[in-house]
Amino acid sequence: MTPGEFERKNAARWAEYEALLAASRKKGGARDPRVTELPRRFREICLDLSLAEARMYGGLLIERLNALVIRGYERLYRTRRGGMERFVRFLTTGFPQAVRRDWKLFWLCNAAFWVPFLLLMVSESRDMRWIQSVLGPEGMANMESMYASREGQADHLRAEYGSNFMMFCFYIWNNVAIDFRIFAGGILAGLGTMFFLLFNGVYIGGAAGYANHACDPVAFWSFVSGHSSFELIGMVIAGMAGMRIGLAILRPGRLPRTRALVAAARDSLPLLYGAALLTTLAAAVEGFWSAQPVEPMVKYVVGIIGWLLHAVYFLFAGRGD
Amino acid sequence: MAAPAVLDTLQPVELAEGVEIRLRVAGPLQRIGAYLIDLLIRVALFIVLTILYSISGIALGGQVVTGLVLLTWFVIDWFYPVFFEAGKHGATPGKRMVGLRVVQISGTPITIGQSVVRNFMRFIDGLPMFNYIVGLASCFATRRFQRLGDLAAGTVVVYQRVPPQPGVPAPPPIRAMAPPVGLSGAEVRALSSFRDRSGLWPEARRIEIADQARALSGAAGAEGASRLMAMAHWLRGQSGGGT
Repeated sequence: MTPGEFERKNAARWAEYEALLAASRKKGGARDPRVTELPRRFREICLDLSLAEARMYGGLLIERLNALVIRGYERLYRTRRGGMERFVRFLTTGFPQAVRRDWKLFWLCNAAFWVPFLLLMVSESRDMRWIQSVLGPEGMANMESMYASREGQADHLRAEYGSNFMMFCFYIWNNVAIDFRIFAGGILAGLGTMFFLLFNGVYIGGAAGYANHACDPVAFWSFVSGHSSFELIGMVIAGMAGMRIGLAILRPGRLPRTRALVAAARDSLPLLYGAALLTTLAAAVEGFWSAQPVEPMVKYVVGIIGWLLHAVYFLFAGRGD
Repeated sequence: MAAPAVLDTLQPVELAEGVEIRLRVAGPLQRIGAYLIDLLIRVALFIVLTILYSISGIALGGQVVTGLVLLTWFVIDWFYPVFFEAGKHGATPGKRMVGLRVVQISGTPITIGQSVVRNFMRFIDGLPMFNYIVGLASCFATRRFQRLGDLAAGTVVVYQRVPPQPGVPAPPPIRAMAPPVGLSGAEVRALSSFRDRSGLWPEARRIEIADQARALSGAAGAEGASRLMAMAHWLRGQSGGGT
C-alpha cells in the first residue's frame, strides 16, 4: 500500500477522530455520548502511526499522525483534580503524616534554626557586639520603634483604619514568600535551604536578644507569642521540603539523580503546602491578634496553647489511617 | 547518514499504547520570548489592578489599598505561571503566543504540583538578579533544555504546534528509480524529508545537500539531486506492508 492510498483509505476516520476531539473540548463535552468513542479512536490512530512508521512512509504523513496522537494523548491522560474532600484529607491525615515520615529532617531543620537563635539570644548577656553587627543600625532602630514600650506597640502600627488588614497582607507577601524561597533553595543541594534557616535563626535570635537588652521585653514577647508557633513551625517545615529535594541530589540512593529529584519534589509538596498554610495562619494571627491591646498574660497563654496544639496535631493527627 | 535525532530537538516518547510519539522540545530563545511577553502582561495586570484599588481606595482607606496591592503582588509574582501552566492549555499566555506548552517528560499534561515545583524554582533559576543565568546554564547542560525547575518537576517545554511550513510544492517528480541498495529506516526517512522540503530550497542549496548523498545517487550536481528525487518518488510509490 502506498502512502497515498493509506491516507485516502483512512482520511475519513482521522477526520472523525478530530471532530470527536473538538467535541470533547466543548463545554459539557464530557456528557456528549459520542465522546465515549474517543479512547477506541485514539488507539486506532496509535495503530495507524505505528503502521506508518513501520512502513517508513516518512515525512508529512507521519508528522500529521504524530500530532493527532499527541492531541488525543493530552486529552485522555489528564489528571483529575480533587476538590474539598482531598483538602480535608490533607489537613487531617496527609500533612501530619508527611511531617512524621521525615522526622529526621524535622529535627535537622529545627536545629538549623534554633541553635543559632539561642546562641544569638543568649549572647546578649555577654557581648552585645554580635547582635549589633547582625541587626545593623537600621535593624536596631526598627526594633526600638516597635518594642520600646508596651503602649507604643499597638498605637504605633495599628491605630489607622485597615492597618491590621494591611499588616496581614504584608506578612503574606513577606513570610509566605520566605517559605517558598526556603523551598526553592533546596535545588542547590540543600545549601539554599540551610542558608535561609541559619540566617533566620541568627537574625530572629539577634532581634530577641536586642529586645531583651534595649527594648521592653514584655512588649516584644507578648507581641510574638501568639503567632510564633505557626510561623516558626511553618518555616521549619518549608525547610524540610527544601532539604527533601536537596537530599535527593546529595544521596539519590538507588535511583539516577534526575529520577530521585523528581520523586523527592513530588514527596516534598505536602510539606510545602502545609508550610504555606501555617504561615498564612501566622499572618492572620499576627495581623489581627498580636498587636491588640490585651493583657500580656492572655497573649502568653494563647501562644502556649498554640504550641501545644501544634504538638498534639503533629504527634497524633492521622495516626488511625 | 546522520541520525535525525542529532539534527533537531525531537524527543521520542513511548506511550502505553505501544506507539512512539515525538515531542519537539523548545529551546531557550523561544522561552525567553515567552517570558518577556509574560513579564509585560504581569506588569500591566499589576498596574491596572493598582489603579483600580486606588480609585476604590476613597471608600476603603489607604491602608486597605496598600494591603491589597501587596497581596496582588504576591499572587502575581508566585502564582501567575503556576495557575496558567496547571490549566487547560498547559501554558502561560506568553507561552501560548509563542506556541509552547509545558508537559511531563512522558508527554502528558502537568499536574498542579509539578506546576508549583517548576515555577517556585524560578527563584533559583533566575539567579543572579532574575537574569536566569542559572536556568540558562542548566538548559544548555541538559538534553531536553530543562532548567532546574524542569528537572525537579520532571517537565519539558515543547512546541504546541509545529510552525506550518510554507506550502511550496515539491518539484514534480519526473521519473521513479529504485535505490541501488537496500536502505535503512532512517535513510528512507531522510530521503522522504529531502523530497518534502526540497520545494523550500533554491536550486543551488538542493544540489549542495544532494551532494552529501553522492555515494547513494552516484552522481554530483543537478543529476545527483534529480536521482535522489526519483528514488524518493519510487519509495513513496513502492513502500508497503509486504516489501
